[in-house]
Order: sequence, then structure tokens, then C-alpha cells
Amino acid sequence: MKRIIYALGATILILCLALISAACGKTRVAISTTTSLYDTGLWGVLEPMFEEDYNVELDILRAGTGIAIEYGKRGDVDAIAVHSKSREQQFVADGYGIERVPFAYNYFVIVGPADDPAGIGDLSPEDALEKLFTDASSRFISRGDDSGTHSKEKAIWTAAGYDYDTEIVGAGTWYVEAAKGMGPTLLMASEMEGYTISDMGTFLAQQAKLDLVAVVDEGAILLNVYSVIACNPDNTNSSVNLEMGQNLVTFLTSDEVQTIIGDYGVAEYGRQLFIPCAGNEPTS
Amino acid sequence: MTEIWDGLVKAFQLIFTFDPTVTSIAARSLWISASACLIATAICVPLGAVIHFNNFKGKKFLISTVQTLWSMPTVAMGLLVFLVFSRSGPLGIFGLLFSPSVMIIGQVLLISPLILGLVISALNGIDKLIPETAVSLGASRMQKAILTIREARYAITAALIMGFGRAISEVGLSIMVGGNIARYTRTIPTAIALETQKGNIELSIALGIILILIAFVINISLHMLQRKKA
Amino acid sequence: MALLRIENLGQSYDGSDILTDVNLSLEHGEVFALIGPTGSGKTTLLKLLDLLETPSSGSIYFDDVDVTKVESNRLAARRRMALVQQKPVVFSMNVYDNVAVGLKWRGIDKASIKQKVEHALELVDMTDYAHRDAKTLSGGETQRVALARALALEPNLLLLDEPTANLDPNSVSKIEEIIEHVISEHKISIFMTTHNMLQGQRLADRVGVLIDGRMQQVGTPEQIFSAPTSKAVAEFVGIDNILAGTIDKKDGDLVDVKVTSGLVSAISHYELGQNVYALIRPEDITLSLAGEHGSARNAFSGKIFKITTLGSLVHIEVDCGFPLFVVLTARSALDMGLAVGTQVFVSFKATAIKVIKRWA
Repeated sequence: MKRIIYALGATILILCLALISAACGKTRVAISTTTSLYDTGLWGVLEPMFEEDYNVELDILRAGTGIAIEYGKRGDVDAIAVHSKSREQQFVADGYGIERVPFAYNYFVIVGPADDPAGIGDLSPEDALEKLFTDASSRFISRGDDSGTHSKEKAIWTAAGYDYDTEIVGAGTWYVEAAKGMGPTLLMASEMEGYTISDMGTFLAQQAKLDLVAVVDEGAILLNVYSVIACNPDNTNSSVNLEMGQNLVTFLTSDEVQTIIGDYGVAEYGRQLFIPCAGNEPTS
Repeated sequence: MTEIWDGLVKAFQLIFTFDPTVTSIAARSLWISASACLIATAICVPLGAVIHFNNFKGKKFLISTVQTLWSMPTVAMGLLVFLVFSRSGPLGIFGLLFSPSVMIIGQVLLISPLILGLVISALNGIDKLIPETAVSLGASRMQKAILTIREARYAITAALIMGFGRAISEVGLSIMVGGNIARYTRTIPTAIALETQKGNIELSIALGIILILIAFVINISLHMLQRKKA
Repeated sequence: MALLRIENLGQSYDGSDILTDVNLSLEHGEVFALIGPTGSGKTTLLKLLDLLETPSSGSIYFDDVDVTKVESNRLAARRRMALVQQKPVVFSMNVYDNVAVGLKWRGIDKASIKQKVEHALELVDMTDYAHRDAKTLSGGETQRVALARALALEPNLLLLDEPTANLDPNSVSKIEEIIEHVISEHKISIFMTTHNMLQGQRLADRVGVLIDGRMQQVGTPEQIFSAPTSKAVAEFVGIDNILAGTIDKKDGDLVDVKVTSGLVSAISHYELGQNVYALIRPEDITLSLAGEHGSARNAFSGKIFKITTLGSLVHIEVDCGFPLFVVLTARSALDMGLAVGTQVFVSFKATAIKVIKRWA
């Protein structure tokens, strides 16, 4: 009897909490976004604008690309903003997302010590990694966390002609798997006088604290495209707010916001962090 | 070394100028964990009395299970609560994931075994003659339980403070179910985790100092309670 | 109608019997003292009567309502009794609240509670302590608070477990005074346990002797102390001379009991050849150096073989073919120059001997 009372009590409690959170305040819209985008602080500018335009509360969830997409699949967010083209395409193909809409891009950079001990400064990204592999004398710090940046690193290894899982992982003490976010990974590379691959935004934001410079920053393969995808309530969860998800897409690709994205960081870092692309896939 | 020193200086500036970000995060942390602690108390004190005052098969097993749950990793509890309250989960219809409410629920689940176990041992610590005397003076079962709880009030308060301490300092569950959303579900420990990753050491240190101060206050009050009891 | 009636009550823990087949009834306004050695089951019986425990066999009736098992009946009955434990505990609150708490549980209004609590504190002379933290009181004060706590409830039945054990002599007389006052003023029934026989004798209308979980004898204090019906009771009530023998000669009620090496004259209705005990209280035996013994039927000569001084009294053991305990004041023992080996005469009346049946 008592157990039933407690079970009842707990249920009532949950209901009350649900009602309170639902009753007080506006509609809450959730978007999961990749850490590299979040940590640039861009959302700090965009969030209040969107909230004002659409009279909602925007919840921005900072997560690695893998988890950000998982949130989308479970219906826990209304949209995702990530940077892993193949996984985004899969997400849409599986019916979880409505459409993949690129809204900005920049380039990944291979960063390393200023004196470039491995001498990869003039090489293409593929050749640079190949030289690191064959020399095996300078450390390379991998994110190793299945993030979008990690996906990019794997793609370069593949392009350079290596099988990532069998040839690179465990290739030697020079190849270090950090299993950390971008910030700590950069810090590790700096401390260990090694190389790593970073998105431009995070690198610029942290450069002051690091003994690292951009060593390789050219090459089509370094292209880093951020896309936004509204989640599909039909295949994720009926409570997903499709209208607001699509509003987010419209918002991010609007002229006003595209300008803001293009100008973001110029004042602080002396160069732009993102190149707006308003829904079009950049090619180089 | 200078990094730590600069961090400390900046941290005290943030604290003593009542930096809005820092104070709002600290306040949010406090109210979320205090709510969790209150709810856990409302559940665990009566439940502890029910378990203590009744003899049933498997009572010892139940108590040792409760004690085993003390060391439940916060991330494991976080994952469980996430899966249950995710929109695709069994309680997803409430739409509570990534809200302070679900953080409170998670913290309640996390600290309840601790509070429950300590409440039961607090009641065990009361002289058996106390409830017996109460019954002989005409107390009903409920009145006896209330009196015994009252007699154990210092030990029970200590249990609640311990629970609060665990709730306010845990990070795994809060990030997983709260999502660490700025101005909504960001608490001191989740903010420290994020700001450290972003390299914002000063803010981390400031928040860390606040957390240490809270822990300090908790410990002082525990000591005072124990002295009062002795 | 009896206030309390117990029938064939038994209690056992883990298969060992603590109480066996106890029958008793307690009238309205009666004071009953339960005596017995430590470990005889007195406290267990008291807890059963206060309905704190349920018996493993038998029944308890309170005002003719069966309160053996049904919890609602038990709570109602319990609220008409009050128990003062041997070592009472007080709650961590002040003295006033300690006394008031039982009344609050009964849902009595505040004004009445105040009046009853103040009256109870007055009874035990603790009025000035009302706002003291009860945990800071001495043993005697705690006992008085516990008594006030019980009295404030104005119970029909007051249960007292060794109310004066572990107390200093001053506190003992204080507590006894209060109990006597309650007995004379309030006409409530009291059931108390004690191992102090004199206390039982002084306060009780009836006395029961509980030994090894069995009620050996119930009667007026005189009956118990002068006419124990068993050796165990006789030993317990302090009859030191218990002589095993057989009825050897019978002339009406006048019998000769043959003990080890001698004949003792006594009054008994037992038949010839019956195995008996002859019980003689030490204080009923006269000891002298010369051989005069007045009207006493029994006179023996013997030698002192042991002298034990107990305060102002001396216990003298005389071997007159069988051992006899005699009690004298230390003063007269000194005057008579008694020592181990002294030849003495002992005498006692036939009516001073109680003869009880012996199974052997």
C-alpha cells in the first residue's frame, strides 16, 4: 500500500515539475551544435536575435558531432548544426532530417610548432600527414573522439592512401589519441611540441595561449562546412518542433545573419572565422 | 604558476564584483541542488522510517543494496535518466530532457540512496527505548515514527547536508541530462567543465572557489551538528 | 469486573520460554507487586501487560476487551495505561514537553494539557524544572519526570518497572512517597515489579512471586512472607531455614517432622510419611547461652560454626544436628560473647514453623 502511495507521489511530482516548466515561459527550441562552432562564441550573438525574432527560448546544446546527431535521431532537439558532410547526408537519408543546408564554412588547419621540425609547411595536407607517418619523429595529436574534426583527420589519412583503423591507430608513440575536445587537444599539442588538426575558429580563439602556428592551411580537403538540418518529427519524435527547426534554417541563411557570421571575429582576431555560404555547398 | 595566480586574481574580481554570469550560475546551482535535496528528503525520511520500523523479508538485503547505490557513478545515473527522459524514452512525453526539472529528478535519484541509507542508520542510532517509551505513552505508529525522527534530527540533518553536497558538486549527470545550456541548465560544475575545455581558466577558478566555499560551509555545519549531538 | 485479566499467558524468544502459563487478574484500584529474582521474567510480563509485545500464547483482557492481538484495541487500551520503565529515557526536549507529549498524542486541547502537565510536575515536585532540557537531568530527576509523564495521562493502570532500582536512598524514599500519594489520592490500579520485598510489602495489596517465568504464588503480603507455598518462594522471601524432612508423628494438627538428625514439632495438616520442608524464619528463633526456653516446643543445643556480620545484624549458623540460621543484633552477640565454637541453645515455637509439601 505504502509503495503505491510513494509511486503515486513520485509521478505527481514529475507531473508538477513538467507542468511548471511547461507553464512558465515561452516555447523552448533546442539545437545541438558541434563544440567547435559553440566555442567560437558565435551563438552568443545569434541566440538573442533568434529568440527575439521568434519569441522563443533557444537552448543550445554543445556536443561532439556524434552526440549532436544522436540527439537529433532521438528527437531531443529540433535542429542540428554540425560539420560532417557524410554523416549529415546519412542523417537526412535515414529520414531523421528534412534537408542539409550549409550556412558557413572555413578551413581546418594543420597546426604545429613555429619552427616546423617535420618540415611539412609547403606540403599539401595529404603529403604533410604522409611525411609525419614516414618520419615518425614528430608527435601528432589526434582528437580521437569521433568528432567532426576527427572525421576530417581520418578523411585526410584515407586520401593520403592509408587505412586509418589498421595503419594509423597504434602506429607508434608519435601518434597520440587525446580523446578530448579541441581546446585541450590544442593545449596537448602545444605542450608536446607536436602537430594536430584544428578548426580555424577554435585555433584562433586559443592561439594566444599556445606555442603553435598554422603550418598547413591550404587544400580542398581542409574545407570545413557547417550545415544546419531541421529534424523530421515523422521519423524522430512527434514532439519535435518542425516549424521552429525550419525557422532556424531560414534564420541562419538569412542575409542579416549571413553578414553577421561573415563579420564575426574580425574585430577580435583580425581575420574572419567563418565564410557565409547561404545554403550553397562551397567547393573549395 | 602565473596562470594560476592570474586566474585567482581574476576569480576574486569576478566573485566580489558579483559578476552576473558567475552569480547566476551559482544561484542556479544552489536552487537546483536545494530542490533536489528537499524532494529527496520528502521521499527518504518517511521511506527510511517505513523501512526502519517494519520487519520484512529481505530488509537487510534492501539496506545493503541502498548502500551499494551510494557509489553509483553520476554518469551512469545520468545515462539512465537521459535514456528514460529522452523524447524517445519511456517518459519522453513529459518533454523534460535538457531542463532544470530533469536535473532535479536526476539529482534526487542520485542522492536518495545516500540520504535513505543515512536516515536509516540515524534511526538505528536512536536508543530502542525511545520508540518503545513512545508506544507505551500511547503513540500511534505514525506518532512513534515522527517522535523517533525528531530524536534523530541532528543525524538526519547531517544526512541531508551530505546529500546536498553530493548533488551540488556532481557534474556527469548534470551535463548529460541538463545539456549545460547557458542561462538555463548551466551549473557550477558543468560550467567549470565547459570553461576549462574552452580554456577560460579564470572563470573556472572563480566557480571552483565558490564550489569550495560551499563545500566549506557544508563541512562546518556538519561539524557543528556533530558537536551539538555529542 | 477485573480491570485486567490474563489467561495462560506465555512468551518465548527464539524457542526459549521466558514466561509460562501466567494467570492473573487485577481489580480496579488494586496495587499489585510482582517480586522475583533478576531474570525471572518480570519485565517481560510488564511489557506484555503494557501491550508493547504480543504474547506467544494466552490472552490478555483489558476491561473485558481482548487486547491480545487486535492493534486498534491495543492502542485504545494502551492509552488508558502508562508504564514507567526501570531506566526511563526522556526525549530530547524540555521537561514540560516530555510530560505533555503523551497528552498531545491523545489529541487533548492545549489548555487541558497545560493544566495536567503542571499538576503532574507538582506531584513529583519538579515544577521548577519545566523548562530544563530533560537530557541534562540526574537519574532520580529523570525517574520523577518519567513518573510525571505517566501520571499526567491519568491512566487507569499504572505499570512500574522497578521504580526505585538504581536510585540513591533519598530518591528512593521520594519516589515511594509519590507512589503512596498516588495510591491514596487517585484510586488507580498499580502493577509494579520490584526485587525489594519490603517495598512490595509496604505498598501492595497483593504480591505475586514470579520465578523462572512461572507465577509461583499470589497472595497478600502476609501470606507470601509468612506462608510461602514452595521452597523457591520461601528461599526468595528470605526464609533461611528450610529443613527437608518427613512427617514422623501426627497428633491432630501437631506433627513431628523428622529432619536429618532430630525431630521438629510443627503445625500441619499433612499426613504421616509426607515429605515436607519445615520453614523457620531466623528472627523467630531464640538463642541463649543457658538452657531456658519458656514455652517453645522446640529446643536444641548446638555449636556455632559460622558468624557473619551484616551491618548492625549478625547471621549466626548453629549446628544442632542440622544447620540453623539465627539473626541477632550485633550488640547482643557482643554482650553474649558469641564466637565460633560457642555452645548455645536455640528454641522456637511450633507455630513459627511453616510446613510445605516436598516432591522428592
